[in-house]
Amino acid sequence: MATEIKLPRLGQGMESGTLVRWLKQEGEQVEKGEPLYELDTDKVTQEVEADASGVLLKIAVQEGEVPVGQTIAVIGDQGEEVPEAEEKPPEAEAEVDEEPQEEGSRAPARDEERERGKEASAEETMTGQIAEAREPTKVNGRIKASPLARRIAREKGIDLSELRGTGPEGRIVAEDVERALAAPAPAAAPAPAAEAPTEVEIEQLTSIRKTIARRLTQAWEAPVFQITMSADMARAQEIREQLVERTPEGHAKPTVSDVLTKVAAVALMRHPQVNAHFADETMKRFPAAHVGMAVATDRGLVVPVIRNADRLRLSEIATARADLVSRAREGKLRQQDLDGGTFTISNLGMYGVEQFVAVLNPPQVAILAVGAIEEKPVVTEGDLEIRPLMSLTLTCDHRALDGSVAAEFLRTVRSLLEEPGLAL
Amino acid sequence: MAKVERKGALSHEQMREFFREMLLIRRFEEKVEERFRAGELPGFLHVAIGQEAVAVGVCRALEEGDVIASTHRAHGHTLAKGTHPNELMAELYGKLEGCSHGYGGSMHLYDVERGNLGANAVVGGGLPAVVGAALAFKFRDEPRVAVAFFGDGATNIGTTHEALNLGQLWNVPAVFVCENNHWAESTPASQHVPIKDLAKRAVAYGMESMTVDGQNLREVYEGAVNAVEHARSGRGPVFLLANTYRLTGHYVGDPQVYRPKGELQELRETQDPIQKARAELELSDEEFEELDREVTELVEGSVEFAKSGTDPKPEDALKNVYA
Amino acid sequence: MPELSYREAVRDALSTVMRQDEDVFIMGEDIAEMGGSMGVTQGMLEEFGPERVRNSPISEMAIVGAGIGAAIQGMRPVVEIMYEDFLTLAAEQVINQAAKHRYMSGGQLKVPLTIRTQGGAGWSPGAQHAQQLEAWFVHIPGLKVVFASTPTDARGLLYTAIYEDNPVIFFEHRTLYGIKEEVPDELEPIPLGQARVHREGDDVTVVATGRLVHESLAAAKEADEQGISVEVVDPRTLQPMDEETIVTSVKKTNRCVVAHEAVTRMGYGAEVAAVVQYQAFDWLDAPIERVGAKFTPLPFAPVMEEWVVPHADDVLGAILRTVGRDGN
Repeated sequence: MATEIKLPRLGQGMESGTLVRWLKQEGEQVEKGEPLYELDTDKVTQEVEADASGVLLKIAVQEGEVPVGQTIAVIGDQGEEVPEAEEKPPEAEAEVDEEPQEEGSRAPARDEERERGKEASAEETMTGQIAEAREPTKVNGRIKASPLARRIAREKGIDLSELRGTGPEGRIVAEDVERALAAPAPAAAPAPAAEAPTEVEIEQLTSIRKTIARRLTQAWEAPVFQITMSADMARAQEIREQLVERTPEGHAKPTVSDVLTKVAAVALMRHPQVNAHFADETMKRFPAAHVGMAVATDRGLVVPVIRNADRLRLSEIATARADLVSRAREGKLRQQDLDGGTFTISNLGMYGVEQFVAVLNPPQVAILAVGAIEEKPVVTEGDLEIRPLMSLTLTCDHRALDGSVAAEFLRTVRSLLEEPGLAL
Repeated sequence: MAKVERKGALSHEQMREFFREMLLIRRFEEKVEERFRAGELPGFLHVAIGQEAVAVGVCRALEEGDVIASTHRAHGHTLAKGTHPNELMAELYGKLEGCSHGYGGSMHLYDVERGNLGANAVVGGGLPAVVGAALAFKFRDEPRVAVAFFGDGATNIGTTHEALNLGQLWNVPAVFVCENNHWAESTPASQHVPIKDLAKRAVAYGMESMTVDGQNLREVYEGAVNAVEHARSGRGPVFLLANTYRLTGHYVGDPQVYRPKGELQELRETQDPIQKARAELELSDEEFEELDREVTELVEGSVEFAKSGTDPKPEDALKNVYA
Repeated sequence: MPELSYREAVRDALSTVMRQDEDVFIMGEDIAEMGGSMGVTQGMLEEFGPERVRNSPISEMAIVGAGIGAAIQGMRPVVEIMYEDFLTLAAEQVINQAAKHRYMSGGQLKVPLTIRTQGGAGWSPGAQHAQQLEAWFVHIPGLKVVFASTPTDARGLLYTAIYEDNPVIFFEHRTLYGIKEEVPDELEPIPLGQARVHREGDDVTVVATGRLVHESLAAAKEADEQGISVEVVDPRTLQPMDEETIVTSVKKTNRCVVAHEAVTRMGYGAEVAAVVQYQAFDWLDAPIERVGAKFTPLPFAPVMEEWVVPHADDVLGAILRTVGRDGN
């Protein structure tokens, strides 16, 4: 019995994914749990494992965007017949305008309309009033589309001329664009033959980049404030060096970031208001600190999460961090690596950035921006000393946090950094 | 119909003061004509040269708290009701210091503090509100009177008749002052009203009426005092007809092609209320010139005041639409 | 909660204000012994006497103008114009005087005058006794315009209108006087400029006034059975318009129908449509539909009158067209 491999939903709100490449070829033997293909979702690029064993009989979609639930391959016994319907390339399905594209349909009215349309189909067929017979979408070079359809198309980069409208007088309505969005992207138009070298380079955003753009824009809507402190990192550096010495060969060596993760997690447990999500007029406070760390990759920024950081030892944090960072750079993070963060740390110290302001990572209520450790003159009790200082800038969602709460949290972080023994 | 009692004789001193005010109005309006011709004044201007005695005689018969509603020919009424020439001139220049703060202009002069509820550019438009204001006084048992000025032309419009009817029906303390200057814009009385005696308009409503020579300051004043007193005492409204002459065109710049040649010259010689009052006062040339100098200075000062006034910002136009 | 008819609700607002405020009086034709041609002021003469319930001659100009004069002197008169068709007689006083005194005086005056009037077809009075002329008055800066569609709204809005410092034209609909509704024990004033969402929905917003609010609610129910979820919004105050509520609703539903009994052409709905297309252009998924009377004077014969003015099925047709169904 052949198994249809359908595009899985890998996270809340995932509507589609982009097939990057297949890791197995048609005809190859596949074991359940073996990586089968690479998928780019709006959060991450990941390897997806086969959910059946057998021979990869058919790859239905080689690459491109696919809506969740669509069949992308068939696994079965050697020589087994692949059912006819499943062989249809998705492009053809889009043309047919049938059920599978219901995903993302906004207006219940539409469903209703189809029902009505079916009931009345006999009569409509006779009078020739079926959708195909509607007026052309394009009249005198002007595409008929509703303002809403135009806006969605503009925002999602959909070319309206590729679409056929189902609205009155052949107008493209929002639903048509949404259906097109859910369907695989049509083959790109051939590039103009000789493009001048001075031409502006246009890069289509990857899903990750789009997600980053969307989330950062969303973050910008939050009324935020920032507070900054400097921590004396002398003790933290000492302790880290001791721990590095004690780290067995082949194990991840703790970094300042790891100390910071641990310290932040402990501080979050003491200030639960900061270890929270703010969304839909509610505050969710979490019993454990899942600390996200911003990692730059060549595909864009990702924020993998170290779970239960408050309960992990520094060496465990280092191990988890090393694994996440390397997989992030290889584009091999899984959805679960990214979900559930309760707080985020962004460290640009390694780039020599002294101090900066991080943009909130909603629905989290705060994010900590960490700068480089720099030797600076400090006056203590009338004496001038050179101390290794590190700037800590906390960006807070003011809807959830007040300045005093934020300040107390940041003060705890600082004092724990200055005496890490209390946290480790 | 009980006759309106005659009282309120005018003393020589009062007469002299009122004369000065008439002269101020005359010089003010001459200045307005001059500045308009010089291109300094925007809009649409109607002067009441020749009708000064009506404005001064009626307004001086009023007491504090009494209110007037005026017409498009309102400079005289406005000055006589106590608005300073500076504020009036500033309004004509469209300045914020103007009595309507630049929102009204010559045809919409208001000075609520001084009881001027507004000049009205719709013929007959102000009469119903005068009935309403008088009704409010009656409701509140306040001894106040509301006065409507209107012209002979307005006696042919519906608002006037409805207002006279309602005012009499509800017995409100109002005086309806009909300034019969014999012209409805360019149309002579013979072409717009089928009766000779406009006081008969009041008869249909059972309203008291009085007729005075509008060129005779003393007669206007004494008549107005009696009319106002009649209304104030609760005996009902009065229709006060003042027969007068417009010694200019309808508007500043009016070529008056409709007016018989020589009529104006003759009227100016025989019907000028200023000349008449001056004769009655037996003012010497020196006395007259001194008064003239005084009011002319005031008028010149008002032009200076107005010119140095504040222009509204264009977006001030959005203010005062709603309370 | 007491149940009041629309007529009683209007009367209750008038009486409530007159009991508490000596500055308020009402005047109009046939409002005293007869209790108004629609019976709204029945019993008020007995309670408040002939000074404060002033029967007037048939002089629309004069009674509106007298209202203006009294208002300028600080009273809060309520003038009843028997039929809104007769507002045309007082148009000069409303448009040139009431609406402009404050402006022309540079802010020295205010005119707290309320003009109550009514209109509406459905009973074959012919062309001069049932027009809906609200569009004439919403076009005049300086006026506020209210059109109440339910007893609760009539009561709360009239109260507010009387205490409004600007002239308010308060439209009532003849065919609504009999409808009943439970109203709050204590009169609750309703601020001007706030729309009421009668019914929430996801697919189409119907912005309706007066009688058409009720027709639209009936149409919405019918549409619901056909799987279309309709939101019905009554602006209640036509001027100023609660643009925010209307636009927010359309941004949610992406489709808009405007419905009133007045002639469609150049009607209030045209302004609503203009506001919506401008502020929610990128949210619209269908042309805005307008529902209103055909461009004729009101005919006498019932069959013609019925056909000329809009009903629930006309609203339903418009709703269907916005979702791409044949709404004819």
